[in-house]
Amino acid sequence: MDKAEQILAALGGADNIVEIEPCATRLRTEVHDSSKVDEKALKAAGAFGVISSGQVVQVVVGPEADTIATDIEDLM
Amino acid sequence: MTQLDVLSPVPGRIIELAEVPDPVFAQALVGPGLAVDPVRTGPVTAVAPVAGRLVKLHPHAFVVQTDDGAGVLTHLGIDTVQLAGEGFELHVTEGDEVAAGDAVVTWDPAAVETSGRSPVVPVIALEATAGDLTGQRPAGPVDAGDALFTWAR
Repeated sequence: MDKAEQILAALGGADNIVEIEPCATRLRTEVHDSSKVDEKALKAAGAFGVISSGQVVQVVVGPEADTIATDIEDLM
Repeated sequence: MTQLDVLSPVPGRIIELAEVPDPVFAQALVGPGLAVDPVRTGPVTAVAPVAGRLVKLHPHAFVVQTDDGAGVLTHLGIDTVQLAGEGFELHVTEGDEVAAGDAVVTWDPAAVETSGRSPVVPVIALEATAGDLTGQRPAGPVDAGDALFTWAR
């Protein structure tokens, strides 16, 4: 799996994503069910960190966030 | 080993990254650096902190990568992605080569603050470790183009 596929899977798959938006350093993701998010798998996929607050999960991936977000949207 | 001087992109006051009101920067998740609390005296033109190629250019943030692959992120304010570029005037295009001190974006820190967001500008040595940085400028006033820190490469 490439990085985008790994991150999407670790976020609980396409069905769990409400919205995914890139910023300069991170993917701001809103999920339906935050219990389906696998933080360890996100870090294994290359995330520098994960900041969760309720259904909003920020996956810190660095400046490649916009490219990864586009790749994830292509997979959805 | 080379020593890369990283310059302040904006005039203002130096603050520690730990004081930036955003956990990604405060915890140095994308790298160490410093932040500048910019002046609120009207529009400010943010300049390139190092020479290199603009590998990423958003209205509110940009990355300049040097010839040897050092990436420096300048982020203009916190949560400013939500402004969708409004109030940010770009002087360059993604992929352009810039010299340190070249104009990149003109924006208004006071307007960002009025919108309820922090205008603080983190300047990050991407994927560096804290020990790679030396000569951090102490807390206090800084002008655009003044050295912020030196990155040992």
